[in-house]
Amino acid sequence: MQYVLRKMLTGIPLILGVTLVSFALMVYFGPDMTYQLLGKNPTAEQIIEVRHQLGYDQSFIQRYLAYLTELIRLDFGNSSSGEPVRSLLAKTIPVSLILILPGFLLGHILGVLLALAAAFWRGRWADKLIMAIAVIGMSVSFLIVIIAFQILLCSSDGLNLFPVRGWNVQSLPDYLSYIAVPTLATTFVALGYETRFYRSVFVEEMTRDYVRTARAFGLSSRRIFFRSIFKNCLIPIITRVMFSIPQVAIGGSLLIESYFGIPGIGKATYEAIITGDQPVLKAVVSLTAILFVFVMTLNDILYRAVDPRVSLK
Amino acid sequence: MRFLVQKYIAGLLLVAVIAFAAGCESDQSVHQVSAPPGLKTYRHAMDQAPTSLDPTQAANVYANHVVVNAYDTLYAYKYLARPYQLKPNLAADFPTVSADGLTYTIRIKPGVRFVDDPCFPDGRGRELLAEDFVYSIKRQFDPKNQPQGAWLWQGRIAGLDEWKAAGSDYDQPASGLRAIDRYTLEIRLTRPYPQLVDTFAQGYSAIVPREAAEKYGKALGVHPVGSGPFRLVSYDSSRVVMERNPYYRQEPVDLQAEGYDPVEQAYTGIEAIEGRSPPFLDRLEIDFITESSAAWTSFNKGNEVQFTTVPIEQIDRVLADKNPIRLRPEYAARFHMYSGLEAGFVFTAFNMDFPELGYSPDPERNRRNKALRCAIIKAYDWEARNQSWYFGLATYFPGIIVPVSPEYDPDLSRDSVTLDVAGARRLLRDNGWTPENLPTLVYGTTAGVTERLFFEQFRAWMRAIGFPHDKVVRKTYATFGDISRAWKRGELPLVAKGWGLDYPDAENTLQLFYGPNGSPGSNDANYRNPEYDRLYERSSVMLASPERTAIYRRMNQMVTDDCVAMTGLSRTRIYLWHKNVVAVPDREIVGGFFLKYVDVLPVAQTRPEG
Repeated sequence: MQYVLRKMLTGIPLILGVTLVSFALMVYFGPDMTYQLLGKNPTAEQIIEVRHQLGYDQSFIQRYLAYLTELIRLDFGNSSSGEPVRSLLAKTIPVSLILILPGFLLGHILGVLLALAAAFWRGRWADKLIMAIAVIGMSVSFLIVIIAFQILLCSSDGLNLFPVRGWNVQSLPDYLSYIAVPTLATTFVALGYETRFYRSVFVEEMTRDYVRTARAFGLSSRRIFFRSIFKNCLIPIITRVMFSIPQVAIGGSLLIESYFGIPGIGKATYEAIITGDQPVLKAVVSLTAILFVFVMTLNDILYRAVDPRVSLK
Repeated sequence: MRFLVQKYIAGLLLVAVIAFAAGCESDQSVHQVSAPPGLKTYRHAMDQAPTSLDPTQAANVYANHVVVNAYDTLYAYKYLARPYQLKPNLAADFPTVSADGLTYTIRIKPGVRFVDDPCFPDGRGRELLAEDFVYSIKRQFDPKNQPQGAWLWQGRIAGLDEWKAAGSDYDQPASGLRAIDRYTLEIRLTRPYPQLVDTFAQGYSAIVPREAAEKYGKALGVHPVGSGPFRLVSYDSSRVVMERNPYYRQEPVDLQAEGYDPVEQAYTGIEAIEGRSPPFLDRLEIDFITESSAAWTSFNKGNEVQFTTVPIEQIDRVLADKNPIRLRPEYAARFHMYSGLEAGFVFTAFNMDFPELGYSPDPERNRRNKALRCAIIKAYDWEARNQSWYFGLATYFPGIIVPVSPEYDPDLSRDSVTLDVAGARRLLRDNGWTPENLPTLVYGTTAGVTERLFFEQFRAWMRAIGFPHDKVVRKTYATFGDISRAWKRGELPLVAKGWGLDYPDAENTLQLFYGPNGSPGSNDANYRNPEYDRLYERSSVMLASPERTAIYRRMNQMVTDDCVAMTGLSRTRIYLWHKNVVAVPDREIVGGFFLKYVDVLPVAQTRPEG
């Protein structure tokens, strides 16, 4: 517990650093919302008024301190649509979570299993087949995959099994029908990356000295693999899975949400980026940073759980 | 370790369950009334989402599609009449105008109610009164609302600018805008304003109850409370859901009064709504689909969106002919189609404040600069642009009065839109322009592949008349807001943009070149021609008449003769909708007024193609 608290405290400079850098980027390089909020025939006076309303006429320090105050109160004001940011996040994050989670879990679980198989039969046809499929998954643009799956599975020219777009979830069958195609598309692409990554982790571990020694002692490959190699590979696996979580929770998936018309946080964030909707961006950046601190802490605890040599100091 | 892993997996599952529950719950507002069987539902598709539903921000057709259906405006455009014609909407009749054209008196219909909402003392919508209109226009002059519509009335309605300068206190009167009784408005102008009634058809003038604006503040942008034909059920970045306003006034449709043309419009089955009171739908859903492939797949599916524009990449697949536009039989059998020119245009203006190609204190340089601009205009290949980007379906025309304007001059010389590379080269040579002394043309665009291709095409045209490759350069901006800032600050020598008409009067495009509207105003070209300005001021107080049209056309000729802009092109819109939908869709001018007249027939009653 002491470690967790200490770790959380050491996360504060990280959060401050992330918010400072991202806020500087928003202020100095982000879109200027003033000119999107002006009428068609503005006067110089109206430009000043809008800049004042947006707080653009304050110094960077003043604006950053205001941002930190908002962060402490977890109240980032209203988005450009007028909706309170808190309500926007409360609406969109759960949608993104339940949209992405199945693909996230399937991508990692199937990725590990396929990588295990490929590494176990390294150099044989199974390995080559799995890697060929992985390369296809990695090579084809996510956009193409989405459009192809939509046409194949959702359109009247294809199998017409699922809705093309929308989010009308009232029951489990509704939920399954709306996430089926996004999940398939996400998993198809994720599998390519995950399988290749996990395979390289397994293969690297399999070439270590202790494996050769164990073999010399007459232990079976299967026994060595599952008793030693897999266990030692858990650290990079945990790291990859854990560090994907903030992306799943906060980042959502822009392409999936846009093409399938799903009102999640990915779409909201993208729109905030292109329009310069700073209240939304500030909230997303802050929550991502906070979540990273949590994830890092949890990551360390899991390291300790899988490898007793790791000390939580 | 096993225990920890089990706990971790259990934790993940718990998160999933909670998220699922929250995800469903967060969307409950949508699904509580989610198209139960038997409800007449129409699903419309639009290519962008509005950023706000507050009338103070109703700056584009996307917002107006919702705003004019959630709120009432005093006037509206007739459903079917083209060219567009105004009609009273919430107003009982057209205004009574004083002899000097400065005082307008408008009666509004009694008994109109706002929808029920917690902002009202007992949650029950109260009657809409003339005072609500006064309040709503004042909101456009309150900087706290970041309003975008004040330009329509500033300096025109007496006392509003002063009201704003005094602190925008809603309890204080504005001298030129008042309710003289519960149902009567009086508006006093500083000078005649023939387009005033048009401005009262805009979403900007939609009527908001003070209780709602005060209760919801900025959140009014996601929580409209109006008296329009529909009331909001839910709104997010993917769609808006509205349902019939049960209190909406009963006003049977008179198709003749709406401008019905049986020859052109009978195929839509629109006669079915004659004598019935809109809205005809129980539920209106507008899906915001930015990806054209997703919109197209959804539209073709049959049980999802029922309206779409034809994506440019599908034109060859869908159209059998382009002149006249005709669908292939397999599409004609399934869908109705409408095609027509947009009420707007795209053009590229020279920023005359750049001494390299605009105004110069040196008369000789001024003369050479004009020759340079005229040469660039001659080298601009409108036909190539039309073929490359619009499948040859657009219409390009000389000047700045667009073809859908009543004042459009079809007999104007087309020299300014005719490619003449030899003439352009000759003009440059005769005026001493050489590759060495030609100025650098900075072409600003937003980042994107299409924009890059636009630029490369332009550069190729300029190279054909002698511009060196490195003297036509592109400057990219991340967003429209950023490039808009560059235009408003006069930072770019070329301003390539589009303009949608706010009202069907050429004044709306002629003001784009009126001197006092220079940057940061709408005159991004910073064109200053005293004679043009004098004519603009003279015509701006005139009612529509042959005399005014003649003045408009003279101004149009001036912009053409002074070589101020490469102009212009109006795109053709092609709309498709399912045959069981009774509608004549239109997104031009204000946009969205037609939705209250949409009806959906049971599929068995669908009319065959006429």
